[in-house]
Amino acid sequence: MTNLIEAKDLTLRYGKKTAVDNVSFNLPKGRVVGLLGHNGAGKTSLMKALVGLMPPGAGSLNVLGLDPRRQRTALLEQLCYIPDVAVLPRWARVHELITLMSGLQPRFSADRARQLLKRTSVGLNDKVKSLSKGMVVQAHLALIAAVDARLMILDEPTLGLDVMSRKGFYELLIDEWCDGERSVLISTHQVEEVESLLTDVLMLDEGKLVLNISLQDMDQRFVALSHDPAQAEAIAAAHPLLRYRQTGGRGAAIFDGVPPEHVAQLGERIRPSLVDLFMALTRKPALTPTQS
Amino acid sequence: MHSWNNTAPIYQQLADRLAVQLLDGAPPEGEALPSVRQLAGQYLINPLTVSRALQELVDHGLVESRRGMGMYVVGGARAKLLRSERQRFLKNDWPQLRAKLKRLGIHAQDLDWGTEQ
Repeated sequence: MTNLIEAKDLTLRYGKKTAVDNVSFNLPKGRVVGLLGHNGAGKTSLMKALVGLMPPGAGSLNVLGLDPRRQRTALLEQLCYIPDVAVLPRWARVHELITLMSGLQPRFSADRARQLLKRTSVGLNDKVKSLSKGMVVQAHLALIAAVDARLMILDEPTLGLDVMSRKGFYELLIDEWCDGERSVLISTHQVEEVESLLTDVLMLDEGKLVLNISLQDMDQRFVALSHDPAQAEAIAAAHPLLRYRQTGGRGAAIFDGVPPEHVAQLGERIRPSLVDLFMALTRKPALTPTQS
Repeated sequence: MHSWNNTAPIYQQLADRLAVQLLDGAPPEGEALPSVRQLAGQYLINPLTVSRALQELVDHGLVESRRGMGMYVVGGARAKLLRSERQRFLKNDWPQLRAKLKRLGIHAQDLDWGTEQ
């Protein structure tokens, strides 16, 4: 099996509301895939479906060669998941959580968990309620990274963490999980921060998959031009995806594909940043008329 | 966190940073570079991008892959880098610098050349 996830024409619904609309993608091994989208874009629904918590309304879904709904127990043994509502029991001590995991998860290694926890400032005797938010999330990651699995699914794991905690979290993830074989699907709003971590990006906008690309291809497909403000009108006439202002007063524009030569000459080519592309391809909820 | 600018792809910027370190002798010729995973953890970049940066150094004849052992700095890598960096300076940086010096009316004797002068 080459793909860890295969989704084909997947649609997810809550009653009449469509959360994920006809989405197809594959997730191969050895990738760090960012799932980006505004609030309500369908990220959490998609992740829930991947772990069998939500039935497909239409289309098919295959995770680790299994049907997440029908073979959920077998699937959960082989993947790691931190939901967006993740909580560890506040009364528990960390070593008790290790005992709990050992009993629940056949592929969990207590030794590995203790080894991973050594990288954090979390002690085995600490009670969860005595830990800071950042420490709880790191403890949680250490616990699930100690599961011998090939796929990790993280739903906004760094939400509400300060910058040091986020850095610690990503270091643990890259150092201890990403070995070129295992993959991770991570949803986040901190687009700028995760850009260098990612090999691929999936972008959801109002349930639709608007971009599915490797960062390598993104650098080639999308062209950003940095230009003098005086050229703004000429650039706009070429209909870029997005125009924005750079720090320092220069203008910039992103094109899908190489713009015509006479337009390209108006500026110098720069690397399109993921966050700019995100702004270009998704609609801000505030600007979208609310549906009744 | 490490900051990457928008002038070039991230793998290219990492390759440039590693090249600057090689120029400073870190690591010295004949010695091993840190592993892909070590570099990934250090710079918080995914392993694929790190591999791509290392491949860039291989393509420029600065490091070589030894099967099962990782990447090693090639003998003569520093001299090669020094040559290309000098060329880059003379071709790209110097014309700009010279233009600026001219604009400001600064002559060679106005500049502090350190202890050698």
